[in-house]
Amino acid sequence: MSAHDIENHGRGGGRKTRARDWKRGAFVFLCVLPAFLFLAVFLYYPIEETFRISTTKSLGLGPEIYIGLENYRRLLASQEFLAGLLHVFTWAFWSVVIQLPLAFAVAFLLSYYSNRFTGPLKSIFYLANVLPSAITAMLGKFVFAPNYGMIASFAKHIGWKWLGGVDFLGDPRLAFWAVFAVATWAYTGFPIIYLMARIEQMPKELREAAELDGASPWRYARSIVLPDLGYPLRILAVLCTVGSLKLFDLPNMMTTGGPGYATETLGIMLYRRGFIDWDYGLAAAIGVVIFLLSLLMTAAELSIGARREKIA
Amino acid sequence: MKKRSIFALVALILGILSASSAFAQKVTLTVWGRDIPDDGADHAYIKALISGFQAKYPDIRLEYIALGDPGLMDKTKITMGAGSGLPDIFQTWGGSVMGGYADAGRLLDLTRELKNVPGSAAARAAMTWKGRIYGVAPFFAVAGVFVNEGIFEKYGLSMPKTVEGFGPLCDTLLAKGIQPFACGEKDKWPGLALYMYLTNRYGGDASARAASRKLAYDSPAFVKAAQLYQSWIKKGYFGATPLGEGYGDAQQLMATGKAAMHITGSWMCAQYANPDFTDQKIGFYAFPGLAQGGVGTVSDVMGMTDIGFAATAAAASKKDAVVKFLTYAMSPEACAAEPGRICSVPGVKARNPITAQAAAVFAQAKTVTFWWDQDLPPSVTSPLTDTIQKFFLPDTDVRKDLASFEALCVQNIGPVK
Repeated sequence: MSAHDIENHGRGGGRKTRARDWKRGAFVFLCVLPAFLFLAVFLYYPIEETFRISTTKSLGLGPEIYIGLENYRRLLASQEFLAGLLHVFTWAFWSVVIQLPLAFAVAFLLSYYSNRFTGPLKSIFYLANVLPSAITAMLGKFVFAPNYGMIASFAKHIGWKWLGGVDFLGDPRLAFWAVFAVATWAYTGFPIIYLMARIEQMPKELREAAELDGASPWRYARSIVLPDLGYPLRILAVLCTVGSLKLFDLPNMMTTGGPGYATETLGIMLYRRGFIDWDYGLAAAIGVVIFLLSLLMTAAELSIGARREKIA
Repeated sequence: MKKRSIFALVALILGILSASSAFAQKVTLTVWGRDIPDDGADHAYIKALISGFQAKYPDIRLEYIALGDPGLMDKTKITMGAGSGLPDIFQTWGGSVMGGYADAGRLLDLTRELKNVPGSAAARAAMTWKGRIYGVAPFFAVAGVFVNEGIFEKYGLSMPKTVEGFGPLCDTLLAKGIQPFACGEKDKWPGLALYMYLTNRYGGDASARAASRKLAYDSPAFVKAAQLYQSWIKKGYFGATPLGEGYGDAQQLMATGKAAMHITGSWMCAQYANPDFTDQKIGFYAFPGLAQGGVGTVSDVMGMTDIGFAATAAAASKKDAVVKFLTYAMSPEACAAEPGRICSVPGVKARNPITAQAAAVFAQAKTVTFWWDQDLPPSVTSPLTDTIQKFFLPDTDVRKDLASFEALCVQNIGPVK
């Protein structure tokens, strides 16, 4: 075979490879296209539109007027927005600090002391998570309502007048925590199940070895189980934080963001400004703030976790 | 035989074609409403309207879609904004919200067709925007004082003739262990009714002047009304936990005789007259005037459309059918089914004593001020109810909060001219 032949053969082979690559590329492109189109229409385009509308004075009817960053300036000057911002951050912080340790404790105990009673307990803990928010809010109102609420009735029954007179949902100092308590009950079910799934996948030999070495359940949880749950806990922390930023249903149904702005959230403000006050520009600006904060918090939490893992 | 088969086939095809063309000619009206037309007492009118209209006009197909609350308002707003997918007719309270749709060209001007349909002047005004009529309001609600007459009789009390008279009355009720007023301010909007009245009594048409930017919302009438309101709250006239109770709770307080008065809209007449809901004897009274220094009088009434319908531009080609529906909505035949609302149609009698009392308050009204949150531009309505809810917080400086609301109005409606 002469060099010329080899060159020709090489050329033909290259052409064939290129054609094959092109076909493969086209196939991949066609496979990805429906998903990309779906995302473009239902995710990227709405995001772009939200950014655009946030720079306009838009009432939904009539023309949109470009006003630059005026809506953002209005937000920063708004007492309601600042209250909402503070509440979602407070909510996110306490969700991570209270809900995740609580979920870990319950998940560990249910797994460690697994017996015929823990099965139904799992369902009971998860039940609140599958209830529609409207039902959860109604139950929350029923628990905390003054006069006829569960706490008020119980307090009256045992003669604790001081407790019966506490207005959990109407007192601005207590309303946030009353709603948060309901949310903790409702939202802790998912992390419990999620962490249990991971704990139950851990090799049994680890526990046996720990027990042989005389490790107490607490020591086993702290030194073996918890380090293994770093990644799931990080994911849950991200979900808690992003969920807090988007928070709407429970506080809206339990207190409408009140009394005053005591339980106001960015989600409630967005809904009210957009759908009640028709101020779509301002509502879009709130949407942009929620989007950017979610992005920022997710990136920060994941990168901090990844760095810690790398160091470890 | 073959010829006969062909003839039969042709006849069959012609029959199907003629039937389908007749079907195609049948006009379809799409109506968006709030309530399901079921057997509930408060849905009696909508049920009678739909079944009665279909029976009377079999050539018009009616597609009634119940969207609930706030589903109806949310969906209507979004569809009006998009300008497509509009129904032919939608339920509305009229006022500035409907006016916004009219300004955007989304509504059907029916001034010529509806101007002679009999109805109260207030109801017609609510469905009129910039001199053009866009719909009808068969039922109109006025705000007033629901009074537990049983409690009043038991303790020898009577409805005060002046605003100042509420003070001693409420003190007596408190001393007897009864909450003077039920409100439900957790839901933010229920506290507006009393504030509208107090502002009117101090400043007459202050709210109308403020809305048209001839007066500021932190001017003396608004501040005095807020200060009086707050002093009543601080004295416990609204109970120990006014912000922990929603509108439903307020109804329960009245229904169980734990509260003596409820200042709200006459839409509650049916419920307070219903023996399945309450065993208390409840009456409806006009809100009194001030003894001294007042401008507004007892005959100045706050009110709003209770049930109204307007037509959209999408129904332009079906104007006849639309007018038939709206006219039928205002007919005594349909309205007679309603057990508790004040009917705008002459000749329809109230079906219970409380509604009759409310209708009398409405009939004696010299001026009707529309509910502020329906009459003001939507951009300031939720800040308005937020502001009023803050009156209930112990440390609120009402003057400061009204000044904040005024600043927002300057931004959204314009400065005082």
